[in-house]
Amino acid sequence: MKSKLSVVFSVVVGLLLISSPTFAHHGTSGYDMEKVITLNGTVTSFNWSNPHCLIHIDVKDNKGDAKDWIIELAAPTLMTRNGWTKDSLKPGDEVAAETHPAKNGATTGLSGASTALLKFVVNGHTLPFR
Amino acid sequence: MPNCTTRLFILLAAASVFSPVSHAQTVAPTPSAKHQAAPKVARLPDFSGSWAVVGGSPSWDPSDPRGAKPDELPMTPWALERFKAARPPFGAKATFEAVNDPVQKYCDPPGITRLYAYPWQFALIQAPGVVYMLYEFTGLWRPIWLDREHPKSPDSTWMGDSIGRYEGDTLVVDTIGLNDKTWIDQVGHPHSDALHLIERLRRMDQDTLEVIVTFDDPKAYTKPFTGKRVFKRSSSPMEVTLCSLSEMQSFDDEVMKSTTVTPKK
Repeated sequence: MKSKLSVVFSVVVGLLLISSPTFAHHGTSGYDMEKVITLNGTVTSFNWSNPHCLIHIDVKDNKGDAKDWIIELAAPTLMTRNGWTKDSLKPGDEVAAETHPAKNGATTGLSGASTALLKFVVNGHTLPFR
Repeated sequence: MPNCTTRLFILLAAASVFSPVSHAQTVAPTPSAKHQAAPKVARLPDFSGSWAVVGGSPSWDPSDPRGAKPDELPMTPWALERFKAARPPFGAKATFEAVNDPVQKYCDPPGITRLYAYPWQFALIQAPGVVYMLYEFTGLWRPIWLDREHPKSPDSTWMGDSIGRYEGDTLVVDTIGLNDKTWIDQVGHPHSDALHLIERLRRMDQDTLEVIVTFDDPKAYTKPFTGKRVFKRSSSPMEVTLCSLSEMQSFDDEVMKSTTVTPKK
């Protein structure tokens, strides 16, 4: 599947405030929690470690240039309780990943708290695989 | 320092030996007592299992659990000065920049009351004369002694000196001897080494645990205040999430700094 930039903006109206997800150690002030974008791209690495699991995704822009996005998830123990494992992703996987983007425009996003994970579609299948 | 994980396993092994509805007041039978009536055993509340916080309330201020107005707790000038210097991860002062949260910056132990705010579980092991409280986050644990009073002049430590007693269905925990290096919550409220905590743990039903905490700290707050947290029984086994300074620094360099520095176009 050809990777291309497909950033879809949607507004999460108060959803996170209502559900009061419990975030881990650093809070969310660096991210725009009222915005969710979907990144389509190719996983280049998946780091299953504390304090937060990190995914690197190559996402191509309209010119075909790949940009490295860093997606932050919860800690491994908390991801495990949401059905993820260290093998949930591997380099080369094609993903459609929802994320809250950084407020400052950096290619960094937050996609997971202990109780509120955003949607991840990997090679056509939604995580977690049950 | 002994490995925290090893300690946790030892304690969990103890849990499999000791019944959760404890035998703190049981008496070993003797030959002369063989034909006497069985000694009465107090039925103690059962706190076994692992517990996970419900929702997210970063502040212990009962009128401001989200920490939207954290400066409204009645702080003394000493505490207010510390609070103003705090750059916490949650609440109205939440920031990613120049963070001085002692947990985030130094992997310091979070302190007893802040541990209740994290999404990681804790467990209680009720043994004779003592209740052990085990925390997944950073692998901490503490004893709550049921058979003694506080020392007259306890050392000031990260976890303090905790003693407890059962009042009906409630475990009442009294803690002093805390150092002043931790925050009481996620929004940067300080405390002094005079902090006196009373925690009241009670099961609201089979799978719900209520924890009510009263903070009495005359050096830091002009009057005591009381907050509440609710926890649900978890089906997930206890694990350990340690705080590694090298991992924290790596995460800070890779993620947090990227969100605080304006990226080049």
